[in-house]
Amino acid sequence: MESLQNPATPLIEFDGVSKTYKGGTHALQDVNIKINKGEFVFIVGSSGAGKSTFMKLIMREEKPTTGQIRVNGYHLNKLRSKDVALYRRTLGIVFQDFRLIPTMNAFENVAFAMHVTGASSREIRKSVAGALSVVGLSHKARCLPAEMSGGEQQRVALARALVNRPEMIIADEPTGNVDPNMSYEIVELLNEINRRGTTVLMVTHEHQLVSDFDKRVIMIDKGKIVADNGDGNGGVV
Amino acid sequence: MKLSSVKYLTGTGIKNMWVNKLMTIASVGTLVACMLIIGVAVMIAQNVTFALKGIEQQNIIMVYFNDRNSVVYGDATPLVEIPKNEDGTRGEIPENAYLVHNEQEALAIVAEIEKLDNIESVEYVSKETSLEAVMDKYLQGQTEVQGVLTEDENSNPLSDGAKITVDSMELYSQTAEQLKTISGITTVTAQGDIADKLVAITDALRTAGFWIIAILLLISLVIVSNTIRVTMYNRKLEISIMKAVGATNAFIRLPFVIEGVFIGLISSGVAFGFMYLMHSAIVTELGRVLSLSSIVPFRTYALNLFALFAAIGLISGVVGSVIMMGRYLRKEGSEFRAL
Repeated sequence: MESLQNPATPLIEFDGVSKTYKGGTHALQDVNIKINKGEFVFIVGSSGAGKSTFMKLIMREEKPTTGQIRVNGYHLNKLRSKDVALYRRTLGIVFQDFRLIPTMNAFENVAFAMHVTGASSREIRKSVAGALSVVGLSHKARCLPAEMSGGEQQRVALARALVNRPEMIIADEPTGNVDPNMSYEIVELLNEINRRGTTVLMVTHEHQLVSDFDKRVIMIDKGKIVADNGDGNGGVV
Repeated sequence: MKLSSVKYLTGTGIKNMWVNKLMTIASVGTLVACMLIIGVAVMIAQNVTFALKGIEQQNIIMVYFNDRNSVVYGDATPLVEIPKNEDGTRGEIPENAYLVHNEQEALAIVAEIEKLDNIESVEYVSKETSLEAVMDKYLQGQTEVQGVLTEDENSNPLSDGAKITVDSMELYSQTAEQLKTISGITTVTAQGDIADKLVAITDALRTAGFWIIAILLLISLVIVSNTIRVTMYNRKLEISIMKAVGATNAFIRLPFVIEGVFIGLISSGVAFGFMYLMHSAIVTELGRVLSLSSIVPFRTYALNLFALFAAIGLISGVVGSVIMMGRYLRKEGSEFRAL
């Protein structure tokens, strides 16, 4: 594994990446991108533009047809199946549909991500309480997902993504199922997490949110990067 | 995997059984039914084998030696021509007309028999012992006839011989043939056809038992696999989250395997209980018409039966869940959502 200590080392690096699905759909074409540690990046684009494929490639749910992908020091093209699980523990993933387990309360849903890593009960109690407090839901720890609003559920999902202290949070349309006020709060929360040093990658198609937060924006259209206001080195293209 | 993970996953597996209780009950019920059929097959096999054991007293071969009486009263051919008296009647039997003249020579043949394979025991039966047995069994109270038979040493018409118990019924006929080749043995009384029939019945029972168990084991496997598949389908959200947060395949698999194992073990316990009750009921009912000694007591095969049930439960639980998981674990999060 490559060293991650140098802040100039890109956390995510796409080098000539294309993805063509079995049916012949060209989801991504020749994507070159660098995202550095500590950045907050919006990925925008219309439906079918290739945003989901971009995220699936980062999560290693898919492999590129051509090109190289390096994330967090892992060379995803060469990653063996049994190492995928370990790689994913370095990411915190937030989904549009929250993906909370309905039979578990907020605490258990967050703890679930720590059980996977084999953490002890004491570590779990401490870290879960900390993560719930970061998202402002300590008082709802015993509530089931059905007893919480959409915004609260998404904050629980965010706490779950944070609890293992990942290098990077990947949020796939995290505001898609919550009201506009709550959307703003969630992005503000992600911004706060980013200020503490965690890299944030957020897919969205809400232009208002993107313009409210002055962040790097990568626009994908028809599988190609059509706009990027940053070059991965802090500068604007 | 760490101990804390194993504890957590065991708890999860047990909790899942409770959450999916209808499916658990259905699986346990069907598995119990399979095990009961196997159990009844075992019970019948045990009792038939026990009944056959009684008939297996037939595993005895009687041989008679080539002694003077076998030439005089039996069908042994004299080794030399027997002289005739002047009145045409048979004269004195010369000693070289037969092979066994005394107990030492008889015991030498017994020693020869012992050297053969498939011999469990050989008991020398002198003509005197045979005569006593015959008189005891058939001539009680007939003192006149008994008197004639015991008048002098030549009045006993029976021959020396040996009572042989064979080891394996399968080789019964073969052993009888070998005995005929021993010098000094003139008659071999063997019930080869009965032995062959017994062997055929035992073999048929064994083959039928094997196939019944094999087929039912396969059915049990399908049942458990199906339960696991339904459970996995119900929990696809959970599995996709597990994969997303970095769970290894072993971590995802363990609760399902534990669920399969518990379903198997609970089924074996329930089936065993049913078998015990069934046996008690049968003993009560049959006890009125049969002697209790003709029914094999449950405890003699209870341990083996329980071990068999537990093995079926465990194998179908583990194999069923592993087969099902293998198919699902290759899928990724988004594929789960599409299921």
